[in-house]
Amino acid sequence: MTELGNTQYDATVLLVDDNPHNLKVLYETLKDRGYHLLVANDGEKALGLAERHQPEVILLDIMMPEMDGYEVCERLKANPATADGAVVFLSALDDVEAKVKGFSLGGADYIAKPFQPQEVIARVKTHARVVRLERELQARNRQLEGDQARILDTITQGIYGLDAEGAIVFANPAAASIIGCELPELVGQNFFAFHFGLTELAGLPVLETCQQGIAVHERGIEMMRQDRSLFPAEVQATPKREGDQLLGAVVMFRDISQELDSERALEEARTTVQEQRDQLAHVSRLLTMGEMAAGFAHEVNQPLTAISNYVRVALRLIAADPIDRELVSETLGKIEAQSHRASEVIRRIRGFVKKPATGKEDVDLAALLEETRQFAEVDARNNDGGIDIHITGELPAVAADPVQVQQVALNLIRNALEATREANTKAPVEVRAVLQDERTVRIEVLDRGIGLPEDAEQQLFLPFYTTKKEGMGIGLPLCQSLIKAQGGDIGFERRPEGGTCFYFTLPVAPAA
Amino acid sequence: MSDVRQTVYVVEDDEAVRDSLELLLKSAQHPVKSYSTANAFLDDYSDAMAGCMVLDIRMPGMDGMELQKRLNDRNSLLPIIFVTGHGDVPMAVEAMKEGAVDFIQKPYHEEALLEKIAAALATDREQRESLSQKQDIIRRINTLTPRETEIMDRMIAGQANKVIAIELDISQRTVEIHRSRVMHKMGTHSLAHLVRMVLSVKDLIDGK
Repeated sequence: MTELGNTQYDATVLLVDDNPHNLKVLYETLKDRGYHLLVANDGEKALGLAERHQPEVILLDIMMPEMDGYEVCERLKANPATADGAVVFLSALDDVEAKVKGFSLGGADYIAKPFQPQEVIARVKTHARVVRLERELQARNRQLEGDQARILDTITQGIYGLDAEGAIVFANPAAASIIGCELPELVGQNFFAFHFGLTELAGLPVLETCQQGIAVHERGIEMMRQDRSLFPAEVQATPKREGDQLLGAVVMFRDISQELDSERALEEARTTVQEQRDQLAHVSRLLTMGEMAAGFAHEVNQPLTAISNYVRVALRLIAADPIDRELVSETLGKIEAQSHRASEVIRRIRGFVKKPATGKEDVDLAALLEETRQFAEVDARNNDGGIDIHITGELPAVAADPVQVQQVALNLIRNALEATREANTKAPVEVRAVLQDERTVRIEVLDRGIGLPEDAEQQLFLPFYTTKKEGMGIGLPLCQSLIKAQGGDIGFERRPEGGTCFYFTLPVAPAA
Repeated sequence: MSDVRQTVYVVEDDEAVRDSLELLLKSAQHPVKSYSTANAFLDDYSDAMAGCMVLDIRMPGMDGMELQKRLNDRNSLLPIIFVTGHGDVPMAVEAMKEGAVDFIQKPYHEEALLEKIAAALATDREQRESLSQKQDIIRRINTLTPRETEIMDRMIAGQANKVIAIELDISQRTVEIHRSRVMHKMGTHSLAHLVRMVLSVKDLIDGK
């Protein structure tokens, strides 16, 4: 019999008896039943074979010269290699005391001599199966434990097993390395005292997991290392239960100081980008105002001209005799109206040029677009068609920075006016706003102008790309950046009937 | 013809500017008629209009420059004062080349505007008088017979009666009779005056 052959058998059975006849009978009984049969005629040989082959079942005669069955059993049980084999005693002794002694020494069963072959076969079969199953179970257990240990060793997060009082009953190597001590030093420490240095436990997050079984996950908790230095940690605690009983908690934690540093750096970068975008937006608004300066001068000069005319009229009226008070008063009223008109233009310019308060507010788009239209009409004096606004239905407020939205709308409208002028058409520039879906408002600026160049799809939103003689190629990329910062989208479509439709979307403000 | 009533025609799209200007000019004793668009003025326009125009150079629809062109096409004599805004000077220069008498920048002083209007009205008056003289000359020319016209052209060209008689194969006496009729019909006794009169309307006649 080779070791290799061993694997083909269901089980190994060791037969031990000093009587050759008995051995022969047992052998005959059990052969050809799928067992690997080993035979020993004394205790020493039996122990040797058992050590080598680790049989599942040992049929062991009690009454043997030199080493009796009890002693063999005792020594088998004492050796870890052979301890799990099922010892079935064979003896003519039929007294209870012998049986009890056999069981007390670790025996699994008892067969009385003279034995019945059927009984031997049945008992061997039963015990072989039990031992084999136990062995398989243990093998699997060992494998699982091994896996678990390897996993716990490789995990970079610290892991603690806590009992209900918060005592650390288990820790993985990562925990020791984060805390800066040796693994054995951790076990037995109280989690709360060790890491938070507190005698007053109230308010500590993991406490409620240990005591009330509530899972927690918190970020940015300050934990203490062994040297009492602090580090920011992300801590996740899950209750450990058995049935209804709360045994404590499993705590996973990691040092997030680097992560927080990166986040801080990212946040700073984001803030810088935001600031630069706002600054660029502001500069761009100033540039727009510069381009529109002649128009604004006109807008202010109109009321000033009217005022100066009315004043002369009023002077003549009060020089007359008698004075037509009603006419004087009417003329003064007109002067007042014109001065309001001039200051309204100034107010509009100031509103547009001022640095916007960062942050969004609820914006009434219809009013904002109307104001933008009036603003853009400074440029539209040379457009016969003018600017039409169509609002479809009731528009909800949008959450946006009003100055920046106006900047985008003005930019698109002025582009549309320019395209219209270049096409020498009298078609008006149309501004449409509609609720696209319950969370989005879509604003469109449409013209019947000269349209876009062929490469617009690839280039139009790229910085420094421009189709205008005096353009800098900043307007549209900035619009895109501003709209994306508001959580919206921007794009354009070529209109089949000629001209272009630029659109952007804005999120509906959450209901107050 | 100086008894023609001169009106200041204001074309200005801005209601407040138009209204205030109208009141201002009225208070300065000028008859005023104002229009909010160039088209409205064109619809109303006739050769009989006397006075001057105060015309906003920038207007939606037809602007001041375009209106000036249309009026030139219709041989309008109305002097135009363009009202310009800041930065419109190049346009104003262009308008002056097209025959505008003057321009004024908004916001303007009343005195400056009234002076320019007075000057424009004087120009209009002169133009109108000279035009009526020319029209008188043309009317006189139109009373000449073809033979008289031929004789007059040769007189103006400086041909002597003898030369005219030979070239037209008529007697000198006949030439003298025609010549005296021409002088009579043209209302002058001096050949030099006749030459000046005919030359002054030469472009008007040739243009027809």
